[in-house]
Amino acid sequence: MKPGELRYVWHESTGMLWRRKVPNLISVVIMALSLLILITFLAVTLNIASLIEKTSEELRVYVYLDDGVSGEISRDIQIRLMSEPGVDEVAFISKEEALADFRETLGENSELLNAVEQNPLPDSYRIRMKQEYIRSGVLEAMAGRVGQWEGVEEVVYGRKWFERGEKLVRSFYMIDLVLGLIVFLSVVFVISNTVRLTILGSSRTIEILKLVGATNTYIQIPFVIEGALQGVVSSLLAIGMLAIIHRFTLQYLPGVSFIRVDAIVVFVVLCAVIGALGSMAALRRFLKM
Amino acid sequence: MNQEKRIIAGVYHVSRGLGKHFSLEDINLQVANGEFVFLVGPSGAGKSTLLKLMYMDDFPDKGQVVVGQFVSTRMKRKSIPDLRRKIGIIFQDFRLLEDRTVFENVALAMKVTGAGMPEIKKQITDILTRVGLYHKRYDYPPALSGGEQQRVAIARAVANRPAILFADEPTGNLDPVATKNILELLFKINAGGTAVLMATHDIELVRSFGQRIIYLEEGRVALDKEMIFVGDIRDRIGGSSVSESASRLSEYDITGGDEE
Repeated sequence: MKPGELRYVWHESTGMLWRRKVPNLISVVIMALSLLILITFLAVTLNIASLIEKTSEELRVYVYLDDGVSGEISRDIQIRLMSEPGVDEVAFISKEEALADFRETLGENSELLNAVEQNPLPDSYRIRMKQEYIRSGVLEAMAGRVGQWEGVEEVVYGRKWFERGEKLVRSFYMIDLVLGLIVFLSVVFVISNTVRLTILGSSRTIEILKLVGATNTYIQIPFVIEGALQGVVSSLLAIGMLAIIHRFTLQYLPGVSFIRVDAIVVFVVLCAVIGALGSMAALRRFLKM
Repeated sequence: MNQEKRIIAGVYHVSRGLGKHFSLEDINLQVANGEFVFLVGPSGAGKSTLLKLMYMDDFPDKGQVVVGQFVSTRMKRKSIPDLRRKIGIIFQDFRLLEDRTVFENVALAMKVTGAGMPEIKKQITDILTRVGLYHKRYDYPPALSGGEQQRVAIARAVANRPAILFADEPTGNLDPVATKNILELLFKINAGGTAVLMATHDIELVRSFGQRIIYLEEGRVALDKEMIFVGDIRDRIGGSSVSESASRLSEYDITGGDEE
């Protein structure tokens, strides 16, 4: 490209945005509103996902030991637990500690425990699992294995609760995926149609440009830049609107988090690409390419 | 201007079917450099179709169109812009961008070629002065009369010093006075060496000038002959301004340009 041609392309792009400011503004608002739906959906999904993760992080597996098991066997169990796959941390909880904890949990009702002469609670190991091993299959298998060991009375991890929760999360992600796809496709559809409309409004300009000998590239570039800019501006607008919504939500649901910065960057770039591609697709027809 | 005659645009055994009307059947015609040719015929005779084939917005089913070094049968779509930069085209409906000033409209033809701004300014000032619209260079087309708009379109068409100007009913929307002015302008441009091929359905208009006439009827050339000159056309354009503009217009490069 010669410098003169570059200058022409630049003048056309900026000039066109200014000349068609009203249709451009309308397009940007329509696009921003559709993107707001998408980004709100994304934010809700991300929040729920992080909530699920946090909850599962709190999961602990308890290995209760037989009453009066020797220190040697107990240590042996600890060593073997450490070498189990997926075990992150093993903590010993003596029966005294367990009782103290229990007392604390009971609060003002803790006097009830005074009626008990002996400490009925066993020694136990509390296991924190690595995140990626917190799956019902893995946990069940481990519980089965460890339950067979000498000196182990019982392995407990809230199996029923956990399995139900896992199923819930799985179906949530499925619904989320389908909904997300629908929202995404409709947003792409709205944007490409909006861009097509603005280009339809310029069909005469395109015709005249061809008449005076503008090449397809030179006709295209300003429109593609325009489409990309529309994408950027409307995505920023959508993010701005979401920020306002987020602020309001915080008053009712403290702890709700906003979209991460890297996600915002990806989102804006993606919108720019959608805008540019939408322009190109709409132009193909006019330019008989 | 004693240049030897060269064919700069030729149509050879061209047929193009577009339904009952507007179709062409075995058309042959040639335009030499510096010639002024009227393409006459009733509406639907195929005049616009023929012109479209010549500026290669459309391609023939049979036969060949040659304009400069561009040959319809060997033409790549990619080189159409090249052709357009070397010819000029005007229409009945002017085809100006209404959201750009007169200056910007004319400059467009040069901008797309990558010409620098100083060159564009110089050339456009010159052209707008010649078509008598320099004082309206910052006006927008809707603020101009039909005749003025057509003059802007003509200025744009000749901005790149074309070898040939195709005019499709350029006076179709104009009153008699504006029509006369536009014709005079076209003659003036022709006097500068640019060939003009002008399509019109107005036989009366053509009869008053002594020119070569190609009569198109139902998609065929019914007549192609040099009409008897009723005096020199240059007398019609009027006195001293002619020689002056002719000398200036003679700078026009009427060759097809370099092969790429």
